[in-house]
Amino acid sequence: QQTFSWKMTNAYGPGAPFYVTGPGSPTYFCELVKQMSGGRLTIQHFAAGELIPALEGFDACSAGTVEMNAANSYFWAGKVPAAQFFTTVPFGLNFQGHNAWIYHGGGLALWEELYKPFNLVPMPMGNTGVQMTGWFRKPIEKIEDFKGLKMRIPGLAGKVYAQLGVDVKLLPGGEIFPALERGVIDAAEFVGPYQDRRLGLQKAAKYYYTTGWHEPNNVTELTINQTAWDSLPDDLKAVVRTAAAACNTISHTWCEATNAEALDDLVKNQGVIAGPLPKDVVEGLRAATKKTLDGLAASDPKIKKVYDAFLAFKEKHDKWAGVSEAVFQEQIRTDGV
Amino acid sequence: MPYNEILALACIGSFFVLLFVGVPVALTLAISGFVFGWLGFGTGLFNLLPARIYGVTANYTLIAIPLFVFMGVMLEKSRMADELMEVIGYLAGGLRGGMGLGIVLVGMLMGATTGIVGATIVTLGLLTLPTLLKRGYDTQLSCGAICASGTLGQLIPPSTILILLADIMGQSVGTLFAAAVFPGLLLTGILGAYILLVGVFKPAMVPPIPLAERQALPRRELWMKTLKVGLPPIALVLAVLGSIIGGVAAPTEAASMGAVGSILVAAVAGRLSMKTLVDVVNSTARITAMMFFILICSQVFALSFRGLGGERIVHDAFAMVPGGATGMLVFMLAIIFVLGFFIEWIEISYIVVPMFLPLMLADGVDVVWAASLIAVVLQTSFLTPPFGWALFYLRGVAPPEVSTLDIYKGVVPFIALQLVALLLVFCFPGIATWLPAAIGW
Amino acid sequence: MSDRLENWARGLDVIVELSGRIAAWTGLALVLVMAGNVIARYFLHIGSVATQELEWHLMAPLTLLCIAYTIKHDGHVRVDIFYSSLPEIARRVIDLFSALCALALAILIVKISMPYVLQSYRIGEGSPDPGGLPYRWIIKAMIPAGFALFGVQSLASVLRALKPFFGGSDGLKTASINAV
Ligand code: NA
Ligand code: NA
Repeated sequence: QQTFSWKMTNAYGPGAPFYVTGPGSPTYFCELVKQMSGGRLTIQHFAAGELIPALEGFDACSAGTVEMNAANSYFWAGKVPAAQFFTTVPFGLNFQGHNAWIYHGGGLALWEELYKPFNLVPMPMGNTGVQMTGWFRKPIEKIEDFKGLKMRIPGLAGKVYAQLGVDVKLLPGGEIFPALERGVIDAAEFVGPYQDRRLGLQKAAKYYYTTGWHEPNNVTELTINQTAWDSLPDDLKAVVRTAAAACNTISHTWCEATNAEALDDLVKNQGVIAGPLPKDVVEGLRAATKKTLDGLAASDPKIKKVYDAFLAFKEKHDKWAGVSEAVFQEQIRTDGV
Repeated sequence: MPYNEILALACIGSFFVLLFVGVPVALTLAISGFVFGWLGFGTGLFNLLPARIYGVTANYTLIAIPLFVFMGVMLEKSRMADELMEVIGYLAGGLRGGMGLGIVLVGMLMGATTGIVGATIVTLGLLTLPTLLKRGYDTQLSCGAICASGTLGQLIPPSTILILLADIMGQSVGTLFAAAVFPGLLLTGILGAYILLVGVFKPAMVPPIPLAERQALPRRELWMKTLKVGLPPIALVLAVLGSIIGGVAAPTEAASMGAVGSILVAAVAGRLSMKTLVDVVNSTARITAMMFFILICSQVFALSFRGLGGERIVHDAFAMVPGGATGMLVFMLAIIFVLGFFIEWIEISYIVVPMFLPLMLADGVDVVWAASLIAVVLQTSFLTPPFGWALFYLRGVAPPEVSTLDIYKGVVPFIALQLVALLLVFCFPGIATWLPAAIGW
Repeated sequence: MSDRLENWARGLDVIVELSGRIAAWTGLALVLVMAGNVIARYFLHIGSVATQELEWHLMAPLTLLCIAYTIKHDGHVRVDIFYSSLPEIARRVIDLFSALCALALAILIVKISMPYVLQSYRIGEGSPDPGGLPYRWIIKAMIPAGFALFGVQSLASVLRALKPFFGGSDGLKTASINAV
């Protein structure tokens, strides 16, 4: 039987939990595939910087120099602007809804269509679940508090904040802590409690707002070079698909478990003040987000197509969520009692 | 041993051969990388080279290189600091090794402003080496002192080594910065003490300024001179440090405060002519491009080493890890130290640290302490010949009468001093672990 | 023959010198842009994604377009431990070998990096951050441009390294090299 020996690059650096190591991570995926295929498909994993820099995987995989890449699709906003919707949509859907859209609401087909010109096959293989709004040195009480606030916040959310007067600062991961600690920036967004604690952000800012309006879920994408994919026999294709889907669940549940522990520790032992943003601040963010997304959709027909499809699905799903999950959260769940 | 691993070793071997017959360093890296990579995996992986080159030239933290080089060259070309070492010499009076002590202190101060070794080495080399040679300092000792002092900045925060280690080892950058403060100061102290000891036992290597000359310079004039040449560099260092501590600028941005400050200082002193500016611009470009050209060519080498599975050689050695936390740590530090002779610290970090991290966690080793130890050893890789970034950068700006052999020989005692610092941090973990615990980082 | 080699080499020098001297000014621009960003943010509370991106965008021309110019001014760093004690003929051979390798390297990198640049150009790649700079292919194009210039410089070096073999005066440089 033919065996395959592939390479996978990753947009995240060595040691990063969830993104590189841990249950449901890309290295876990590689190991899973090896076991499920009985060693017929082995994938050598390279974290960011080992073979290529963090954000070069899309091109490398597209050219076929590596067969697979792990990343978030919103990293490619400068190459394929519509791709960012497949990672997450601000004020969009949470883990259940977003995955429902991708797997069963036509999302995956749109995603595949978008990547086809690049000779790439995309699929989800991980999810952080809902992220956090971020760390603030001063409390946010009203929407005006954003004016003149210096914040490290990349991507679409940065554009939303900018409309509210936030001064958006781009910084590499390693400089977030010193900059926040010294007050060069007043606020920073990263991931969720488990990852943020690892970065030590709680020692630089005390106010930790929830929930991640800008990232209600966050998909780890697996991209596969189309030519390499086509060369796989059907059973190995099924192995890859199944392993990716398994990692999607395993990684998400792992985040749910670790975040619960980490947030508890941050609040109880490290003096962090965690809580939701005031309601009118959220409404202000919602309005600015709608303006940003509408503007984005108007700028490019491909974005519009994805955005419209997403909104149509969201409308349907919101109704169901309103009578199922919302009721569960309000009536059934007990508040840590 | 598999074919590709033999090629990986041959790749390193050919690098040494070409290097020693006098082929330029950058070409040496590119040639051995291309030839052995091509023999091992053909052309395929080289398609990744543009991405790696782009990664170097678009690297945010490396912006500190041109900014600090600009600052140093401005101080040099406007002749604002050319008497800096002289004045330090006069101030040190009859103290043998006084100017050498000055280098260590300037290196420490600059190290507190940047995490990039090249920038400090170039500035120190430009500003201090000519004076030291003129004043009869031993060439090898001068070169060694500059290289060692220049690499202090990789231990004293901010530091690119600590940022990468924080990433790989899952620690907060702040914790590692705090943990490295006392090891950094300790090493500074060791370097200073060594130079003073040389003054005691080998006075001819570090002569003070002759008594007659010192007496010929009136006190008042010395203080005037001190003010004139001491103020500009100190003001610039304070501008950079102050903007980091004062929350004005993030570490990389802060370098721009020093660069723009150097223009202002030169203008205020009336030393900024159009000719000076053109000189500074051209010189900055040349030194920066010289450094980046080597960095870019080292990408070919690193890519080939990876593509040939060179890390498997290290994995093979990994099978010999002795039991017990102490044995394992010593073994890891030894591997890192030995690799430092052949490949650069980034590759070493990527290959070695993730391998040992699970063992450290399983053995209950204090990861912050271990990170500090690793940082000290990685720092020595800048100094260990033949592949040492500090050595190449100093070579690039040293006067022609200084030979590469002087630099290579000069760093040897300083490498030993770094190992002394390593031993102290190893035996007294509190040197690293006390501060982060005390300030709650 | 040796005079003709020198004349050709001088023609190539002009290209390298001129482009290098122009590109060198991006260093000053980098200083001013970055300091300007810091000052505007701290004192005026304003900032833009575009000017922040401009910081590292300026690195590409500075570091790549100036390579040839640097080499022209003896900017190679080399280890002279054995080189300086080698007989003249050996040093000439090493110089010729280095120059030829440099030329090959230049051609190779230009060839490898063109598809990388063209891909970026074809899809109109811009910044992933809203408000960032467009036309990322220009920054990426500095790789082939810089190495093309390095190729021109290397060709001049080859011509000069050939000179002694055609009876010209000694083209040998001092063993130690000072980039300043
Ligand atoms: Na430093
Ligand atoms: Na070394």
